[in-house]
Order: sequence, then structure tokens, then C-alpha cells
Amino acid sequence: MAIGLVFLGPFAYVVWRNVDLGTDLGSVLFDGDTLHPLGQSLRLGVAVAISAAVIGTGLAWVTVRSDLPGRRIWRLLAPLPLVFPSFVGATALLAGFASGGLLEEMLTPLGIETLPDMRGFRGAWLVLTLFTYPYVYLPVAARMSSLPPSLEESARLLGRSPFAVFRTVVLPQSTSAIWAGTLLVFLYAISDFGAVALLGYDTLTEQIFADKLFDQPRAMGLSLVLGGVALIVVVAERTLDRRRRRIEVVRSREPLVVPLGRWRWPAVVIVGGFLGNALIGPVVVLGFWALRGMTADSETIGLATDMGDLLGPTLRSAQAGLITAAVALMVVLPLAWTISRYRSRVAGVANSMVVVGFALPGVVIALSLVFWAVDTPIIDRWYQTLPLLIIAYVLHFGAQATRASQVAVDAVPQRLGDAAATLGAGRARRFFSVEVPLMTPGLLAGAGLVMLSTMKELPATLLLRPIGFDTLATEIWGAGERGALAQGALASLMLVAISAVLTWVVVIRRIEHY
Amino acid sequence: MLGNLDINYHRLMTSSLHRRILTSLLILLALVATACGGDSESSDAVDDTDSITVYSGRDEELIQPLIDAFTESTGIDVAVRYADSAELALLIQTEGDSSPADVFISQSPGALGLLAGEDRLAELPADLLGLVDEGFAASDGTWVGLSGRVRVVVYNSELVDVSDLPSSVLELTDSEYEGRVAVAPTNGSFQDFVTAMRSELGDDDTLAWLEGLAANGAPNYPKNSAIVEAVGRGEVEMGLVNHYYNLRALEADPSVVSVNHFLPAGDVGSLVIVTGGAVLSSSDGAGAAEELLRFLLSADAQGTFAAETQEYPLLDGVGAPAGLPPLSGYAADTIDYDVLGDGLTGTIELIRESGIEQ
Repeated sequence: MAIGLVFLGPFAYVVWRNVDLGTDLGSVLFDGDTLHPLGQSLRLGVAVAISAAVIGTGLAWVTVRSDLPGRRIWRLLAPLPLVFPSFVGATALLAGFASGGLLEEMLTPLGIETLPDMRGFRGAWLVLTLFTYPYVYLPVAARMSSLPPSLEESARLLGRSPFAVFRTVVLPQSTSAIWAGTLLVFLYAISDFGAVALLGYDTLTEQIFADKLFDQPRAMGLSLVLGGVALIVVVAERTLDRRRRRIEVVRSREPLVVPLGRWRWPAVVIVGGFLGNALIGPVVVLGFWALRGMTADSETIGLATDMGDLLGPTLRSAQAGLITAAVALMVVLPLAWTISRYRSRVAGVANSMVVVGFALPGVVIALSLVFWAVDTPIIDRWYQTLPLLIIAYVLHFGAQATRASQVAVDAVPQRLGDAAATLGAGRARRFFSVEVPLMTPGLLAGAGLVMLSTMKELPATLLLRPIGFDTLATEIWGAGERGALAQGALASLMLVAISAVLTWVVVIRRIEHY
Repeated sequence: MLGNLDINYHRLMTSSLHRRILTSLLILLALVATACGGDSESSDAVDDTDSITVYSGRDEELIQPLIDAFTESTGIDVAVRYADSAELALLIQTEGDSSPADVFISQSPGALGLLAGEDRLAELPADLLGLVDEGFAASDGTWVGLSGRVRVVVYNSELVDVSDLPSSVLELTDSEYEGRVAVAPTNGSFQDFVTAMRSELGDDDTLAWLEGLAANGAPNYPKNSAIVEAVGRGEVEMGLVNHYYNLRALEADPSVVSVNHFLPAGDVGSLVIVTGGAVLSSSDGAGAAEELLRFLLSADAQGTFAAETQEYPLLDGVGAPAGLPPLSGYAADTIDYDVLGDGLTGTIELIRESGIEQ
């Protein structure tokens, strides 16, 4: 209950601001200037969600369930594109692949003159797909790694082809995880600002950005529309989810590994090619900028890139990411538990609020916290301290953990707990020895998503961080503001590196060893 | 299934899960403890009367050295929150009288105008306002300009012939420039520039000009630096930006082919956009706050702006950055910045109405 109330904060703030500013919602909503960008947002959201679902699921299967060469490395690399702040990722991608970019310079001698134009819908769709498929990949990979092999073995023995097994056995068992991830991709795509702005694709978020200062009634009205879209989608998804059969997971052995046969090497080329675009390409471009900066004449101002200066921000980014992930899990797990086990209506509403928090712009989340905290006795002492910043992150990104947790909780067979109870195990002991271990992969996947998102979050970080709490994200922003490509590139590379380390240590290694 | 269950139990009971959960919790506790440790230090400093808090929309690298010099010469500690100017204005607006900030430094006069309109800014003393030319401070005395940058046309020297360059922004609606000139319609500087145009030409002509650009299919970008990068790699031939982004791009890569074209002084396109400083009306350290603004307007500090960040100093008698045209010509027809503040709502409506946002 209390948890749900806290999550109500940002949405209530948006509603209140609408009332206070006297926004005429009707005229905001049915204005052609709103409907067009709204349509654009939805179109982009649906397109990105579909492509990310396909890619995320395919990649999860091929890295977790096949004998793809080098799959442990692919497993580590696959979630990482999520960590690029979308503006940085899009900039690097443009610099690398757009017309006049590095790739074209390299290809020109080969007779290839111009690369396709990346601006508009096509570019936004491509960039967002490349950077958001991990929302699907991580939960699905966690799910697939914990599926019992017995059903698949039976299906194989009965003569089904590997593809048919995937379609009739693996896919249905992963459906809830795929839906969970796809929902997050959709919400991310409609709330993204950095990439769509850079690629010149006019969406709702761009309008909110343009209006936020001087047309606040409209900006708040549009934020409400964005939150409303998120609400509709999450309610629809839950209704669908309720109709689906719950698939409980009790795993006893390693998951079945499917030999790819002659498809092994083509698969490597496809996976490598894809990650090459989503991760390696941007990293190479960033590396090029950083190197150029470090080797350039050191007398030019603002370019003396110093790795040592990044140590503090790196540690603070890791600290914020880890704490937020842990707090988000602790907050969200009881919520997921009540929804899944007791079908509680109150918890369902709370869950919708958590999801809305993900669709609202970061600035709005930050301002809502300022609004609630700055004059509230006791809490105001936390104003502009780390705890409040963590709360903002949890409000913003909690959705990434709730869906993963729900999927995880659903996977725990109730009869296991009952069996343990008849054997005399107490509530706490049952929880820690039966339920937690079974939920672990799903929970870790959710925590991993929250962690990666937190480390790249910018608007709320800038407004709510304790003064002097520089993180890698704020360093990247600062470098971008003053046009220091090299420093920004170096900080971005550090962000990718620390994310890789943490994703490995906290998420992937544990899912594997589980 | 029962077999599975047995195996599972066996595995779980013998696993070191409890130990692992315990270590994870301990690590988390340590993280939280260090986090809280950091907090208490900073909150001690706030109680000190000899300290002020600045919200700065200006980048840390550009202004922190000057603030350090200020602390060294006056003994006043300065805590600075760096973020986007517009978002800091929203923050101050939301914080209201409880705002911890004493000083607001904004890259955009528009954000200052918004706060002045809501009585969040205190009136500055006349001698402080008098340090800069009349046009570079608010006429109601709520803020003073600290440095300036000039609107220019950046172009790709490999794609654009010098004779093709416009001698006025008004020419950009000619069919000759179709699809060739990038703009950033949601960017604060572009909005300030359009507001200035409104005060000079009136709304009808400004709208006609914007519609002309829209009809010409001017490509959109989110901000100045993105335009400069796009021009550099030849994605678009020209763009309307502030002068110093291209100077930065040149520092990063001397081989880049983007070049600044300064429009003639007196053209409506050659607006000077100031970075302004203000003291908040809710500040309890107004004296120290004013002292900081005065320091930033000292000859030394102004010289640093010119030398280090290639911005135009606003204090009389301090020269323009090396290699750039003098400011005097551009200051000739100064804009009433209050119009910029109050008038931005109208500007945004005008920009939207023109259909230039794509």
C-alpha cells in the first residue's frame, strides 16, 4: 500500500499541475499540433517494440540455448547497448554510419559514395531498436536459461524439428518475459528524447521539451497524455497477461543446448554483425574521438583528457546504479508478490503507477520530487541528498524491475512452498530457501535493467544530486555542453566499461551459476 | 516432477545462498554508509554564513576556475549545481522560497526573464548593472550580462562557395537556400533570436520569414553542437548557430571543414546572446551573491572569458577574443531583453505556427 502511494507521487504531481495551471486538456489533446506528434510517438513505439522483441528474443535464444561459438562473450556484450545515453549513442552512430561519417570516408575509396539518409522515422526506429532490445533480451535470456529441458527433450524425441520445438515449446514458455520486455521498449521509445530530437523526428517528448519553460500548461498537459498512454498500455497488457496460462518453472538440470550444425558460423556472423552496429560501432567511434583528443596538441584548451579525473565519477555511477537496483528490487518485490499471488486490486493500481513513472520525462519526475520534498518536514532534510536521488531513480525505473519480478514470482510453483511448509519450514525459511533461489534469474535481470538505466540517467541526476556528486552521465553531458568530443567520448567509454563489469559480476555470472 | 523437487531441495540446502545474500547486504550497507558520510559533510557547509550556492547553466569547465579564484580572494565558499539553464529555472520555480540557491547563472536570457516575471529575482544595485552597456542588463535590474556570444551562419567550406553566403538572415528564405540551412527550433538560442527578430521586424514579418524557412525545408536539429557536427561531416551545408561551437569543433579536430560566417553588424541575424547572472529574492546571502557577480565582471575574469572560452566580454574596455570581429558593431542595435523573457511564449507559438518544426 505505502509503496504504491509513493509511486503515485509523480503522476499526482502532473495532475495537480494541470489543475493548477488551468490546462484546457480538451484543446491540448484534440489539437492537430498534439495529435500529429502523438501519432508519431505511437507509430515509433509500436515499430521499435516489434523489432526489439524479435531481435531480443532471437538473440536470447541463440546465446543461451544454442552452441553458438563464443556465446559467453556474446552473453556479456548483448545487454550493453542499453547503457548508451540515447543522445550519445545516436551521435556516435551518426558520426560512424551517416552520410559523411567515418564509415563513408573509409568506403569512398571502394567506390561506395553515399550511405542512406538516417534522418526521420527510419533513423529513429533503427537507433532506438539497436539501443533498447536489451529490455527484451535480459528477461528472456533469464527465462530461457531456467526452463526445464524435459519438455523440449520429449518434443525432440517425438520428432519435432528444432525450429518447431522453439515455436511450440520454448516460445510459449517465454511469452510473459517477452511481453514484459516489449512493454518496456514501447514505453522507452515513446518517452525517449535524445535520439528522436537528434534525428529530427517530431514526437510528444520533443513538444514537451520545447514547451517546458514558456508554455507550462501545454507541457504538463502533454506529460499527462504521455502518462495516460502508458496507463492504457499497461492495463491492456495486464488484461492479456491474465488470460495467459501461468508456466511454472522448476529447473533441475542445465537447459538444453541446441546444436546449430551448419548454421553455427552464419549465426556468428549475424550476431556479430548486429552487435557490431549496436555496440562495437559506437564504441569504435567514441574510441576514435578519445584517441584523437588525447594525442592532439595538449595546448588546445579543454582537451587535456585525464583518465584519473574519471575515477570519482565512475565510482559514483557504480554506487548509484547498485544501490538503486537493490532498493528497486526490495521495493518492488513485495508488490509483484501481492499482484501475482493474491491478485490484489490495490497492488494492481500501484503497479500501473510504477509503469507510468517510466513513461514520464525525467525532468517531470525530478520536479515532482522537488515539489513533494522541499517543504515537507523531515523529508526536506533529505533534499538534494543521495537518498532522495535514489528515490527518484526508483520512481523512474521501478517499472523495469516490477515486470521482471512478476515474471519471476509467477515462475515459482506455489506447491513447492506448500511442500516445504508441510516439511515444517517457517515462512522466512521457505522464502529464502525455496522462493528466492527460483526467482533469482528473473530478479537479477530486472535489477540489471534498473542498474544500467540509472547509470545513464541525466535530467533527474542533474537536478537532484548532492552538489559535487559528479557521475559519468553528468561528465558526458558537461563535455557535450562545451563541445569537448574527446572528453565526452572517454567518459562514455568508461560508462560502457563499468557497465560491462557490473553486468557481468551482478547479473550474468549469477544467472549462469544459478 | 517429484524427482526434480528432491534434487532441487538438495541443491538449495547445500548451496551457499545465505552467505551470498549476507555478503550482498553488507556491501550494500557499506555503499549506503559512504553515501551518507558524504552528505553530512556537505550539509555542514550550508550552515556556514560565508558560503553561497550557485545554480549554473554555464558549463563547469568554463566557469569553475573563476569561482575558485573568487573563493581564494574573498574566502567565501561557493557550492555550484551545474545543469541545463531552462531546467534550473524550472527547479528554482518549483522550489519557491525554499530554494537553496543564492545565484542563478543562465545561458539564456529567456530563462532569466521567466523567473523575473515570477518575482524570484532580486533587483541588483545600480553600480553593478552599470558595469555593462545598457542593452546587456535587464531594464528592471533583475539580472546582468556576464558574457556574450554571437549568432552566425556556420558552413561547410567544401560544399559552399563563399559567394553563396548570405549577407542577411532574411535571404535564407530564397529558393537558392532550399534544404541547405539547418536550424534548431526547440533550442533556447534560436528562440531568443526569433524573439529579437519579432521586436525588430514585428510578428507578421517574423512569421513570414519562419514560414519561408519551413517552405525551404530547413533541416531540424536539437541543438547548436549537433548542427556544427552535421555541417562538419557534410550532412547539411549551412546552419544557424552561436559562434563558439565551431571554434570548439576546430580545437578537437583542426582538419574539420566547418567555418563561421559572421553576418554584417546591424543585420537582425547577428544578435548577441548573453549569459546572465542574477541573485534570487529568496537568498539569505545577497551580499556575497552580488560580490560574486561583481567578481565575474572584473577585468581579469572578463579577460578569461575572451581568452579561454572565446566568448565576448561585456565589461567596457576588455577586448574581443583574438581573431573575432569586435562586439561594438553588434551591440549597436541592442535588443530589449525583457521582451525576450516575457515574449518567449509568443515566440514558441510563432515557431510552431510556421511549421518549421518537422
